[in-house]
Amino acid sequence: MSDEALQRILYVEDDADIRKIVAMSLEMVGEYSVAACGSCADALEVVDDFDPDLLLLDVMMPEVDGPATLRALRRRASAADAPAVFITAKVQAVDMEEYQRLGVFDVIVKPFDPMALSDRIGQIWQQYRSDGHDDAG
Amino acid sequence: MNKEERHTLAYGVAGLLILAFFVWTFNLLFSIQDHWSESNDVTAMDKDVHALFDPWRNLNRPGNDVLENYEVAAQNKALGRYLQEYRQARGRLDMHGRSQVDLSDYYRGMDAAAEEMESLAKRVLELAEERESLRLAGADAVSISAAETEAATTMARMDQAFQSGLDMIAGMDQILDQRLLDLDAARRAGVGSLYLIVIVALFSSALSLVLLRRTSVQGAALRSGSERLNAIVDNVVDGIVTVDESGTIESLNRTAEDMFGYSSDSLSGQKFHSLIQPESRALYDAADFQPGSQAAGRNSELTGMRRDGTLFSMELEGTRISVEGSPIIIHIVRDITERKRSEKRLQLAATVFENTSEGIMITDRDGRIQSTNPAFTAITGFAADEVLGQNPRILQSGMQTRDFYDAMWKSIDITGHWHGEIVNRRKNGEAYTQWLNINAVRDGSGQVTHYVGVTFDISDLKASERMKDEFIATVSHELRTPLTSIHGSLSLLDSGVPAKSPEKSMELIRIAKNNSQRLVRLIDDILSIAKIESEKMKFHLRPVDLGELVMDAVEANQEYAKQFGVQIQAETGSIGARVLGDKDRLVQVLTNLLSNAVKHSPEDGVIGVGIVRNEGYWRVKITDTGPGIPDSFRGEIFKKFAQADATDRRKRGGTGLGLSISKAIIDRLGGRIGFESDPGISTCFYFDLPVMQQHWSTEAGAQRIMTSVEIAARPE
Repeated sequence: MSDEALQRILYVEDDADIRKIVAMSLEMVGEYSVAACGSCADALEVVDDFDPDLLLLDVMMPEVDGPATLRALRRRASAADAPAVFITAKVQAVDMEEYQRLGVFDVIVKPFDPMALSDRIGQIWQQYRSDGHDDAG
Repeated sequence: MNKEERHTLAYGVAGLLILAFFVWTFNLLFSIQDHWSESNDVTAMDKDVHALFDPWRNLNRPGNDVLENYEVAAQNKALGRYLQEYRQARGRLDMHGRSQVDLSDYYRGMDAAAEEMESLAKRVLELAEERESLRLAGADAVSISAAETEAATTMARMDQAFQSGLDMIAGMDQILDQRLLDLDAARRAGVGSLYLIVIVALFSSALSLVLLRRTSVQGAALRSGSERLNAIVDNVVDGIVTVDESGTIESLNRTAEDMFGYSSDSLSGQKFHSLIQPESRALYDAADFQPGSQAAGRNSELTGMRRDGTLFSMELEGTRISVEGSPIIIHIVRDITERKRSEKRLQLAATVFENTSEGIMITDRDGRIQSTNPAFTAITGFAADEVLGQNPRILQSGMQTRDFYDAMWKSIDITGHWHGEIVNRRKNGEAYTQWLNINAVRDGSGQVTHYVGVTFDISDLKASERMKDEFIATVSHELRTPLTSIHGSLSLLDSGVPAKSPEKSMELIRIAKNNSQRLVRLIDDILSIAKIESEKMKFHLRPVDLGELVMDAVEANQEYAKQFGVQIQAETGSIGARVLGDKDRLVQVLTNLLSNAVKHSPEDGVIGVGIVRNEGYWRVKITDTGPGIPDSFRGEIFKKFAQADATDRRKRGGTGLGLSISKAIIDRLGGRIGFESDPGISTCFYFDLPVMQQHWSTEAGAQRIMTSVEIAARPE
């Protein structure tokens, strides 16, 4: 397990099709290991075994939305420190303020280009590292 | 006590006071004069008393002189002169009679002392002569010495008398000096009082002058009074009509002439009745015009009649007085047409104020609430008397910033006006959005006297706007999601990255295809909803056999059901369930309900479709054995984009609009849609449509039922 490289991404998205596309994009283009979950409950089931380096979360999800999912994941040691990235179309000023309060590291705006997604995630990771988070993962 | 009696009393009191004042003043003047003359007298007396000293001393001389000078005859002569001088001085004292000082005891003492002095002095001279005779006669020393001894004794007695006289003079002097001091003090007090009198007199004179002047003006006024009175009576704004006891008119002033269109001459001898509308005459006759009476005769409103027969509202006042023994009634008549008109206008304004649906609040310039209308109470929950005198900030919700109110007041101060949306709080604490118009009310000089706030509750409007915004947000999210999938999968395919994995490529193609179909369905459904809601969807009403319709719909959906391993069983038969409807729309409803049932049925599930008569309606029932409707979702089920489990939406391909479209269609057809659910066992969705009557088969009948249907549907 390298200290520097991003490997494991825990991804939560309720829409099955988008979930497949994003997972494929990250796996095939970015060559990351992705745990793609359809809901908060699914994510909580796999998070400890998966031990993610980064959390990628949809915001508008039924029952448990992105912010609540993040709060639930943060209570697990395996996901307590991993940088969180929201992937959403909800990017109004009030929404962004809320994400900031939640400690979200960055936001990727929907609709996104699946070919550029891995690069974007890679940049976010580099930014996160250079901000002094050396103990990530 | 009347005015005249009060005047008489006042003049009487004033007269007595002036008399007392004069008595006091004269008394004072006399006493000052007395003091003055007595003071002069006493001063003169004092001088005369002083003048006694020298002659008195001289009286004592012979005794002493005789011892040194033996010329007794000369001494005798001198004594006579001294005595005369003394008596003259003493006699002057008796001339001072006016003084109040009583010196009679001193005078008597003085006179006694003087007598004694005289006799003693004479004796001394006799003894001196005797001794001289003895000496000339050559008498012995013893005889001479005896005479001398007696002389010496007599002289000693003289000394005593002399001393007593001196004491008398000094005593008088002292008494007189004291009297002078007393008189001086009394005079000063008198002069002080005089000054006071002068001041009072000056003031009184000034006052009298003013009063006199006024009296003279009044006098002048009185002189020209009767001419003036006539002019005044003619020019007052009220009509004045005098009437004798029999109700016959005696005189009119000019205003009354103008008011009724008569001249005094043309009315003379006529009854006052001729100035009143016939219907009002009884009211006039019932009036009581006694002075001071509060009965109907004072301030009654009657309908007046002009000479040309036109009518007008008038106010009539009557007072009965007695002039030179004969009673007359003075009528004061006012044309109140204009007042009535403005009363009506005010009444109308008040009615509007009371009945408008807009809340109105009027404050004074300091922002204290003066008046509110019932609509204000309906909106805010505050009764008028609860807010009277309060500041409108009791309505504040705290949802506006200080800056907001500052800007509002700045606008009112500068332009006299502000309008806008504002969130306030009702009495029960509920926040509501209102449209508020504030206007400053100014008086003739441009000063703000009041502020008027007119408001209406736009909570419902805001809520529906919010719903529309939410709908748009939801629609855009719903459209964006499949687009994201289509775009994402095609981009990945295009990049050639998944080329090495055919399954992945196929998966991406399937995603793109499915989402394209979903997008088409969504757009169809959204357009349907928009059309129905804007009432632009056309309904082609025809008699429809529900049995046939159900069979067609079931057949059309059988293939779809098979994909889910579900079977649809129709138990309708030919029961002649005829309704008036639009076949295509009803198929749309059935398809929606059937596909919902299919999507929620377990594999190998069976869906039952049946038609039953339910009083005046035919009911179509679709029953599945799916998980049923959760309690929490029952109220939401017919709302747009409502799905109990949104993750299902994608799995099962629904748009979340099917039921709301179905409900809208059935509502438009005058029917009703509903469901019964037994979670975990079965769920039955149904719709009811009115049983078609024979006479509806014609187009005209169809048209009529459409109208009634619309009316029936409207309350929804």
